Amino acid sequence: MSKANASQSAPARQLLICCGTGCLANKAAAVAEALEAAIQAAGANAVVQPDALQLKRTGCNGFCENGPIVKIHPDDVSYYKVKPEHAEAIIASIGGEPYQALLYRGDDKQPVTRQQDNPFYAPQHKVALRNIGQIDPLAIEDYLTSGGYQALRKALAMPPARIIEEVIASGLRGRGGAGFPTGIKWQTCAGYQPTPKYVVCNGDEGDPGAFMDRSILEGDPHSVVEGLTIAALAIGAERGFFYIRDEYGLALHNVQAAIQAATAAGYLGDDILGSGRKLHLEIVRGGGAFVCGESTALMASIEGKVGEPRAKYVRSAERGLWDMPTVLNNVETLANIPYIIANGGAAYAKLGTEGSKGTKVFSLVGKVNRTGLVEVEMGATLRHLIYDIGGGIKRNRPFKAVQTGGPSGGCIPAEMLDLAVDFDSLTAKGAMMGSGGMIVMDDHDCMVEVARYYVNFLSEESCGKCTPCREGLRQMLRILTDITEGRGQQGDIELLERLANTIKDASLCALGKSAPNPVLSTIKHFRAEYEAHINEHSCPAGVCSALCVYTIAAESCTSCSACKRACPLGIISGEKGVPYSIDSERCIACGSCRDACRFDAVRPIKKERQVVAS
Amino acid sequence: MSQQLTITIDGKQCTCEKGEYLLDVAKRNGIFIPTLCHHEGLGGIGSCRVCICEVVARGRSQVVTSCIYPVEGEIEVFTKNERIKEQRAIILALLHHLAPASETISQMAAFMGADLPRLADKEGGEKCILCGRCTTACEQIGTGAIAKCGRGVTKEIATPYHQPTAECIGCAACANVCPTGEITCEQTDESVTIWGKTFEYLRCSCCGEPFATREQYEFAASKRHLPADPDTAAATGQDPEPLCEACEKRATAQRLAKNSIQFVVEP
Ligand SMILES: Cc1cc2nc3c(=O)[nH]c(=O)nc-3n(C[C@H](O)[C@H](O)[C@H](O)COP(=O)(O)O)c2cc1C
Ligand code: SF4
Ligand code: SF4
Ligand code: FES
Ligand code: FES
Repeated sequence: MSKANASQSAPARQLLICCGTGCLANKAAAVAEALEAAIQAAGANAVVQPDALQLKRTGCNGFCENGPIVKIHPDDVSYYKVKPEHAEAIIASIGGEPYQALLYRGDDKQPVTRQQDNPFYAPQHKVALRNIGQIDPLAIEDYLTSGGYQALRKALAMPPARIIEEVIASGLRGRGGAGFPTGIKWQTCAGYQPTPKYVVCNGDEGDPGAFMDRSILEGDPHSVVEGLTIAALAIGAERGFFYIRDEYGLALHNVQAAIQAATAAGYLGDDILGSGRKLHLEIVRGGGAFVCGESTALMASIEGKVGEPRAKYVRSAERGLWDMPTVLNNVETLANIPYIIANGGAAYAKLGTEGSKGTKVFSLVGKVNRTGLVEVEMGATLRHLIYDIGGGIKRNRPFKAVQTGGPSGGCIPAEMLDLAVDFDSLTAKGAMMGSGGMIVMDDHDCMVEVARYYVNFLSEESCGKCTPCREGLRQMLRILTDITEGRGQQGDIELLERLANTIKDASLCALGKSAPNPVLSTIKHFRAEYEAHINEHSCPAGVCSALCVYTIAAESCTSCSACKRACPLGIISGEKGVPYSIDSERCIACGSCRDACRFDAVRPIKKERQVVAS
Repeated sequence: MSQQLTITIDGKQCTCEKGEYLLDVAKRNGIFIPTLCHHEGLGGIGSCRVCICEVVARGRSQVVTSCIYPVEGEIEVFTKNERIKEQRAIILALLHHLAPASETISQMAAFMGADLPRLADKEGGEKCILCGRCTTACEQIGTGAIAKCGRGVTKEIATPYHQPTAECIGCAACANVCPTGEITCEQTDESVTIWGKTFEYLRCSCCGEPFATREQYEFAASKRHLPADPDTAAATGQDPEPLCEACEKRATAQRLAKNSIQFVVEP
């Protein structure tokens, strides 16, 4: 992909085209081709000569909903939602006035030229994502130019114990979910004698909403290869694995290419940079089961066994892969390592909070105006993430809750908007950091339904080995379904809590141990909503279709017909000047009309109860 | 060599070796902990979670499964305090609604006071509690005829595609280790029927008792690198005649005596 430039000096300008999975889905490849053609076509007449322009395909810029993204450096111009037909105009604008139509428009609708003035990017602090969007992931020379493999050189000159000290000093905690201190994990493993030892990178990323690990593997694979190599030096491993889910095609491809390029350049292999140290890395493709992201299940899967967890009374650092000492780290954890070794643990520890150092990548999605991957310092408040970076709630609706940490995370209510987000604060509120997923919800989200949704996911994704998780989730799912369908009973909330506590304590692995979070956190913060479903058979958020139908408030209706166009059943009628109305007999409360109405005229009302048999 | 530790279980001082499983220590000291998936011969499965106990180590309390928890330090253990009784009762209630037809489980559930009528029976649930004893036994024999299929709430024990499988040798080890009697196995003097297949018994060439299925015999022979078929084995003289265990022992003893092999006894 990378084209080494003919001229000796680096080209004056770079044209960076985002070719992450999101932008590729929006035809970024065609945009890149059109830009290449436009450069050639402009030829000698252009302000900028073709050989003074380098075109690069980069990884994900994190703002996929506005992709494909094209950036021009050093002019620092960013274009969004670029289509192939814009290519000529973009090329013609280089060196002159930016092409206005493709600039981002911020909250005040004013065009924004520079990326660091874009409200989505301005507050971010990139460490793990430092190179992504700036370099061509397939060009090792790009990685080298941005300081790549310098940390490895440095680490090769350090005794393993010094490497570990540096990581301990950084305060880095694992980004895969549990937040275990990375340096301590390495130290424990380094302390065990038996060999061979192994290092493993967890690229399973089972949380359906998260894509930070994919993005790093795609956009900056060498940083993870370098991080894993440093881990191997620290513990004395000579063989390592990338465990990457099968559907991550581009990530698999780019990591494979990075391993090959690093081996060819001597950063991997039998004699790393002439040091006599060895490391061989291979890729194992995961089948995509959520539970296979769990460390012991993942190792079983690499060994070719059924991906079921085992009890962790003996840690993987002592007996992991093939019963040998093993360090398993998450993709983002490893991407931070080269930064820590290059800049020193102390520099990293300056970022973040007391108990959680550094930065964290979140995937901010749901009812916010701007969604995407964002990297901020630990300790950023929810308000900062949701309102400053995310631009607030869509249509200015009230913020209700944010679900953090993936399927087995928890919901944090609006009262806690000023919570400074780190590992410990989230856990204290019954949620968790997990993978860094953040799903923002507004008043049109029913918290009982949210809990039911996640419990359903987990009941299917549990490995099914142990009783509390498998059977407990099955029973919780049934009770939650009953509640959302108007069959809730007195005592259900208490029974859910009892089941939850047993599942949490007595399950074998962390999937089961964390699975009750969605239920416990919604009961804790939104108990009244559960009670309304059970006692009054009503869904206050107007979501549970067994309990409500929609009507149109005549006084608010402007007869704009948006609802009518949105209704999949075609049961809304009305005409100009007359308020619209819904045939409530046939309404299935799908919510399409409510989402379409800009005047809040569509409102849920309680459904007349037909007795529904259990 | 091994380190001795003293721990307390329900207030009683117990000594044990470092690394010993908590369940074994308790048993040796006369403290009863209920179990279901645990089986002496199969090793720790850790799936039923009936054997949970509360362990307090260095001030930190944790619920552990005693059948697979190795004692590594001076701990305090509670096998039946309120927390454990509550959780064990819930686990048994869950198992009862998973396997409503199992007498064993309903009795155990009743004994533990596990009565949660709001829970629903599993659709099609019979006696299996998915403990994994049967599949573990089958796997350890090396046959791998049955496995836990599916994941999450749809998990079940089955042969591949629910079809009679060539891997099954009719040894009935699965049925023997099953704590709930889920695995049906019809035995007569002539044959055994299990997992949808009927196996004919071989008779001991010496005493005439039926002792193993033909497939079982062939499987064992293949493990000993003998011709798989007993008739060929007999014809080539490598394994004279199919013998039952008792007769086999006697024959071996006689052969040894005849060849007057000297046993070297280490001092
Ligand atoms: C059900 C379950 C799923 C998990 N999925 C992932 C995953 O997809 N990626 C990941 O890095 N860690 C995942 N983890 C956490 C891992 O078990 C492990 O703690 C982590 O990979 C260790 O790396 P770290 O210390 O760098 O975070 C999961 C844990 C559980 C219990
Ligand atoms: S807790 Fe759930 S996922 Fe973990 S071993 Fe038990 S059944 Fe499997
Ligand atoms: S069939 Fe029996 S041994 Fe096998 S899992 Fe079910 S209860 Fe356990
Ligand atoms: S793929 Fe281009 S911004 Fe994510
Ligand atoms: S007996 Fe210990 S988990 Fe089943």
